[in-house]
Amino acid sequence: MRTDLLIVGGGPAGLNAAYKAASYGLKTIIVDKWFSLGGQLRQQTQSYDHLPQHFAKLRGYKLADFLIDRLKPLDVTILEKHTLIGAYSDGSVGVTNEKDILPIDAKNVLITTGAMEEPDIFPGWTLPGVMTAGAAQILINRERVLPGKQALILGSNEFALEVAAQLHDCGIAIKGIVENRSELLCQNEKLIARISNAEIPIVLNGVIESAIGKGKVEEAYVNHNGNNALYDVDLICVAKGITPILEPFEVMNCDLIYRERLGGWLPEYYGNFETTNPSIYVAGNAAGITNMGGILLTGEIAAISAVESLNAASTVQIKEEKEYLWNELYRIEYNSVLEARLDVINELHNEKDAQLPPLVDSLNGRLING
Amino acid sequence: MHITHHPVLKKDERKEIKFFFNDEPLKAKVGQSIAAALMANGIKKFGVSRKLHQSRGLFCASGRCYSCFLTVDGLDHVLSCSTLVEEGMEVYSNLSDPDVRRGKNEN
Repeated sequence: MRTDLLIVGGGPAGLNAAYKAASYGLKTIIVDKWFSLGGQLRQQTQSYDHLPQHFAKLRGYKLADFLIDRLKPLDVTILEKHTLIGAYSDGSVGVTNEKDILPIDAKNVLITTGAMEEPDIFPGWTLPGVMTAGAAQILINRERVLPGKQALILGSNEFALEVAAQLHDCGIAIKGIVENRSELLCQNEKLIARISNAEIPIVLNGVIESAIGKGKVEEAYVNHNGNNALYDVDLICVAKGITPILEPFEVMNCDLIYRERLGGWLPEYYGNFETTNPSIYVAGNAAGITNMGGILLTGEIAAISAVESLNAASTVQIKEEKEYLWNELYRIEYNSVLEARLDVINELHNEKDAQLPPLVDSLNGRLING
Repeated sequence: MHITHHPVLKKDERKEIKFFFNDEPLKAKVGQSIAAALMANGIKKFGVSRKLHQSRGLFCASGRCYSCFLTVDGLDHVLSCSTLVEEGMEVYSNLSDPDVRRGKNEN
């Protein structure tokens, strides 16, 4: 198979990139390892603030439907249940459906494989009933299955609180949100109010000492300010943050860099979201953990870079698109995230003695000036 | 347990099907993963770890952690979180190291 753009990962970044690229006439293929597109949007029942201007406010799973449906009239081939497994010496990429291996000869590859949840290790953490907050959310919203009756949430970031509220709304008693720091990580006031209205206890300076049970979680010890308390729970949801998925970048020989503010290790990339391997691009959470607006916008910027590399639009069009997208990113993305992202870009341009795109350069100045 | 009244999503109209776990007949819904179908039947322990024989079940639900693997229709080490349940499917706990897949690759 030959294509202008191969997108690996059909979540929000990949889907949005496909729309943009295909709208400029690029022949586009999306591969996704799951049996349906949408990535982690499929189980998000909350709606998003801070979306780009060209998006309506929608609940996550409806946003996924919107992103998928608008690809239908375009030249986009969708390969579900396909995984990237390697690169051939001639530059083509191998994907598999677990039976056959399909070489794809792509002029550009965009990797939008997103992020994975971090585990947290305590005695009993492998017992059935201990799962990531994302897993619990998949069960209630995609599978429509209750993962337990009484739960503890470990971690207090925005996602932890969102999942706690959603589990509560499904009838699960949340016995506590356990955070080892002295304050909540979540700064979303509306969400904090929802937790407080639901009378969900918040245990600051707390750690789960152990989860106990025969074959599954039945109880958990929580150490709070030095005192151990026993909780009757059959579900522990671990929400300690997410980190970019790296295997595809390792397979494609892209250089990596560590930035705590962006979720840990991630591929290095230039101002056009090209990695250190020419014509391999990155976007979405794989390019650093950000919010939904940042995920959608980086997908679009990477797509425009692919359009530019194939001269599929006029210089004026490209310039206008980029200006709009970077300005939206500046408006929407958390300042500390954008700062860390620009730092990654600046560093690579310096290292390779490559000229910084004027837009990125002007953003540097704007961030410094507040 | 299935969620019958979801606070946000519309009514669940997925068809019911039957499958087997360790020879016991169970009900599931079309479009569910095997892991979710087991959890809906109150089964959390899917099998045991290979070395220390500790209980294992669903952990990440995303096909990354490999905690939920099961034997499905004779195939060992199938990720139950990323495989859809099917009518009549025979699912067994993985309780030890997998057998070599002799059927297909005999040599």
